[in-house]
Amino acid sequence: MRNILLGAMVMAVSPLVFAAASAPAATQAQQDRAAGEHAGHTMPVLGSEAQGRVGKERGMSRPTAWTSFPILKAKMSGEGREGRSITLVPQGIVANSIVAYSNDIKDASGQRQLPFDMAGAKLDKPASGGLHWLAAREEQGDEVRVASTVYYFSNPGKNPTAIFMQQKHELEIIPQPFPREHSRYRANEDWKFLVRFNSKPQANHKVSLETGNGTKAELVSDAQGIITMHVPDDFKSESGQKTAGEHSHGRRSSDFVLATEYREGGKNYLTAFNGSYGPGAFDQRSLAMGLGFTLLGMAGAVPLLRQRKSAKQAGDAMQSSVAETANNKDA
Amino acid sequence: MLKTIFPTLTRFRFTIQLIMLFVTVYGGALLGTYMVDRISQALPSLACAFDKQTGDHCILIVNQHQLHHRIGEALVKAQEITYKVFIPTLISVGTFFALFFFLNKAFCGWVCPMGTVQEVIYRIGRRLGRPLHRFEPGNVGRVRPVKWLMLLVLVLGLPLLAGMGTVSNELGDPYCQVCPSRIATTLLTADTEQIALRTGTGINMFLGALGNTLFGFIIIAALAVRLPFCRICPLLSWNALFQRLSPMQLVKKQHDKCAKCGVCEKACPMDIHEIGQEYGKKAFHEDCTLCGRCVEYCPDDDVIQIKFFGIPLFKSSREYYKNRVKLETPEGLPKNKVIWLAPAKENRNG
Repeated sequence: MRNILLGAMVMAVSPLVFAAASAPAATQAQQDRAAGEHAGHTMPVLGSEAQGRVGKERGMSRPTAWTSFPILKAKMSGEGREGRSITLVPQGIVANSIVAYSNDIKDASGQRQLPFDMAGAKLDKPASGGLHWLAAREEQGDEVRVASTVYYFSNPGKNPTAIFMQQKHELEIIPQPFPREHSRYRANEDWKFLVRFNSKPQANHKVSLETGNGTKAELVSDAQGIITMHVPDDFKSESGQKTAGEHSHGRRSSDFVLATEYREGGKNYLTAFNGSYGPGAFDQRSLAMGLGFTLLGMAGAVPLLRQRKSAKQAGDAMQSSVAETANNKDA
Repeated sequence: MLKTIFPTLTRFRFTIQLIMLFVTVYGGALLGTYMVDRISQALPSLACAFDKQTGDHCILIVNQHQLHHRIGEALVKAQEITYKVFIPTLISVGTFFALFFFLNKAFCGWVCPMGTVQEVIYRIGRRLGRPLHRFEPGNVGRVRPVKWLMLLVLVLGLPLLAGMGTVSNELGDPYCQVCPSRIATTLLTADTEQIALRTGTGINMFLGALGNTLFGFIIIAALAVRLPFCRICPLLSWNALFQRLSPMQLVKKQHDKCAKCGVCEKACPMDIHEIGQEYGKKAFHEDCTLCGRCVEYCPDDDVIQIKFFGIPLFKSSREYYKNRVKLETPEGLPKNKVIWLAPAKENRNG
């Protein structure tokens, strides 16, 4: 029993000692993260036809360095993770407005058109937390372009499956499912997406994958219109990698976009879905060390499993006393 | 019919525990990925948010995040402490209490996946003939304050200080980093990520090493000690804060024979000796998990009861006791069943 007691006391108190020693480093780490977040916003390198149109005629758009596909970036406007609003910045698409779809499908005001200001389109924190669908649309002549993404607001919200599956545009890429809270896309994981046109799944359809770390790949949907994205493990060493923001606890992050095209009725539809992803599950983790400390703990408890002579006698006495109590009650 | 399937309260409770283990560890796979967003996100038991299949997760991770990211940060900017900051925290605590109100600490004894895992290991320990180590009245008092220390330091203190920028941001959820349920429940889904030690920083490594060592210790100790982690679990102390506010109560009447009997004390997996010696409110101790074993092993009619709004749900009876001890000793040693190794004995030395 002393083993348990001592271990527990050490466990409860020791982080305080460690915490005090680490405080200055923590402040620096927070500053580094903030700097890393800003460093991720690089200036554009234009190339494609789409990027040539950026910012010319109407609406708001900022070009993206790493992809020619349209994306929608969400940035927290308030303080920390609990910011009361986010700012949406379309990149590689010229759209007049952005539509936010609440996961509360019964809410009459669940679908909101967000006007632009100088920084982007502002979305106040909705009443229902959880996952919300965001999309920007551009229609010019026979070209229809859509940028879409999903954003998580803290606090419990409705199940977003219904709003994800509701038809919002002609050509759509829908996560099946999207990572829930405390989870995210990570390198070396497989995640599925549905590709459909006018709600009809598209079999053998090509989808392009591009990441902020430079990976480019082509995926093909199966008979059910599902593509499986194997999240690339393309994170390099620590330098130059941005983190996932203030709430990231120092985790590195990059962006990806899935994009596909479809031509029908003389119109060309291009739809993209973008999100962020992090390094693999075992990045900055050691299974060997984890198992080692687990075995150490196990070894510490082994003495508890040994029989002791005095204990044997005490056990015998106890068992006979229980039997006696039962007999007395019977009598 | 029901009595045939569940001849004892322990059998009934164990069935519920297994169902809840399934819901809390694999519920997301069964009920849908986003189920965790819809139940409570403030469960009064150690269902782990790091388990990607979980049906719900415990309130402790929410507490740590709120203290870290809301209250702590807001305290730095004192002018921002408004009802808007505290309302989300109050909502979480309110959601927790809405569940807790009905079942009280039965969330520990009937729902918690970590409790179930430890009980299963203890049963294996009985079959393996391992000794039983118990805390005696003289030394149980030493371990009891640890759960309050865990709550104050790891769940409330450090996350708040991290939010205020006084300590490292990595100490925003220190309890989760040492919680054995994080490792146990994720391993149950064949996910080895959480048992792998985080090596990013010194703090990560330190807390990870502490958590893994604790997990290893608990897994082996549970073969010979009943519910070793529950005794220091901060959720037990968190739940204890609210246990008098629920209509679900353990009630014990004064009885002449209690001073000499003590069988209920032996049956208690948390070594609550007060259940044998005290009565009234003192008998429903802060460490009680409402498992009901004391009620099962009380040899006198109606002395100990589990009541809901004053209505007895389960009460002690001589007949039940006589049948119960034929199946299992108060310490959990099965009778007339195969013991795989040498017979188990009890070590009362603490």
